[in-house]
Amino acid sequence: MTESRTTPSLAKRRYATLAVLSPLALLAIWTLLTARGAVPPVILPSPLAVAASLWDMIVNGYSGISIGTHVAASMTRVGIAFTLGSLLGITLGLLRGRAQAIDALFVVPSAILLPIPPLGLIPLFILWFGIGELSKIILIFVFVLLIMMVNAQAGANAVGVDTLRAAQSMGANRWQVFRFVVLPSALPQIMTGLRIAMGTALTILVASELLGGDRGLGFVILDASSFFRTTYVFGGIIIIGFIGLISDRVIAYAARRIVHWEGRR
Amino acid sequence: MASPVLKFDHVSFGYDGRTIMRDTSFDIRSGEIVVLLGPSGCGKTTILNMVAGFLTPTAGAALVDGKQIEGPGPDRGVVFQAAALFDWMTVAQNIAFSLRCAGRSRADQRRVATEMAALVGLSNFEGHFPYQLSGGMRQRVGLARVLAAKPRVMLMDEPFSALDVQTREQLQEETLRIRDRTSCTILFVTHSIEEAVFVGDRIFLLTDLSDGNYEQFDVELPSPRSASENRLNPEFLRLREVIYRKMLQRVAH
Repeated sequence: MTESRTTPSLAKRRYATLAVLSPLALLAIWTLLTARGAVPPVILPSPLAVAASLWDMIVNGYSGISIGTHVAASMTRVGIAFTLGSLLGITLGLLRGRAQAIDALFVVPSAILLPIPPLGLIPLFILWFGIGELSKIILIFVFVLLIMMVNAQAGANAVGVDTLRAAQSMGANRWQVFRFVVLPSALPQIMTGLRIAMGTALTILVASELLGGDRGLGFVILDASSFFRTTYVFGGIIIIGFIGLISDRVIAYAARRIVHWEGRR
Repeated sequence: MASPVLKFDHVSFGYDGRTIMRDTSFDIRSGEIVVLLGPSGCGKTTILNMVAGFLTPTAGAALVDGKQIEGPGPDRGVVFQAAALFDWMTVAQNIAFSLRCAGRSRADQRRVATEMAALVGLSNFEGHFPYQLSGGMRQRVGLARVLAAKPRVMLMDEPFSALDVQTREQLQEETLRIRDRTSCTILFVTHSIEEAVFVGDRIFLLTDLSDGNYEQFDVELPSPRSASENRLNPEFLRLREVIYRKMLQRVAH
């Protein structure tokens, strides 16, 4: 590595500096672009105008509903779909990785579903599950499940032959091999999958809130855009972006703690 | 003579129409270290994998204590070339793994882990993770976790070939000391003649098992066998040369 001559604390400080500088630089470019009037505000409003709308939403809510309620509605949908989807996806993926018959059952349906754009499923989901909470949650759930299944399967396939044999020759039964060897071997890949799935879940959230309803961050963005309230569109985007940033950092931190052996073998 | 711990009775093995091993027989006695020596592809690891239960003979019988081997089990633990430790478990958890699988109490697991860590010279490392250990120490953990299950036969599959010379020699000596203390029976696979002569009580020189033939050598070196001095013993040097010449002949054929 090229960092061999820098001390760990120096490297850490440099990482933090760059991580903070890059969004500030983007903000500066955004300010410059809008300050000179080169771009009409309805296309790209200035950061200050967005900040004002964001503040307005925080203080007064949006369309008569407090921003906290919007955030809570969205996070409940994502939370339920993400938890259930990843639990089921991880289980199925690990099983697919270790049992050929189970893999054969899922290989065609999951490969067909994965590339379908969530927006394409919305008309069907309205027919099947209505315009309430259920269809929104299921839409997110399906894609989290598919992503986690792919990642967990890849993880389960990565178990070394010798590692499996070592466990068997020490008397581990099938369940013990699964619990003590396959699952931990797949954890690095599973944690990466969780980060991707969370990002995707937030993306689909906005689409899912096209399925009717009067609350949620996706609703805020869609409603504001249909009335050309571009500053509010940006406000909503920024809130979702921050939620994405925080959830990604939380999962990445948890991954480093849980999968402490990764990259140190 | 006491009945053998391990018996191969006219064992053949092959797949996809290829014969790897034909009609091979041998006995291994309790407390003995038998080395399977030969170039890669000669079938030595096939034998080890059949004893471990990873492979099944296509003909003949592989027996431990007179009973046919059926699948892997803790009575036949394997020390792998690349250690194959569980990176997510501490040294103590790695060592006690067979006890955990057998449902033994946590106190038992802790006691055996401490005892085995001491046996392989890893006291005070019980709380470390494998990635915090050197290559030689990882192999010590590999030895300890097999010994913790009190196996009938310990199977060692080129266990030290990835280590530097000093560490390798240390661990060869350690293996002999462990055998003296536990009277464990060992089947040891290697391609190093020096290692075979230093570690083995008997050496099976395998070049091509597809005709079922192998040559046997008894090693007679002074006790304690673990003494580094034995590497300079005239008998050590003589046997090493004999086997080396045999191998040259076989390769020339």
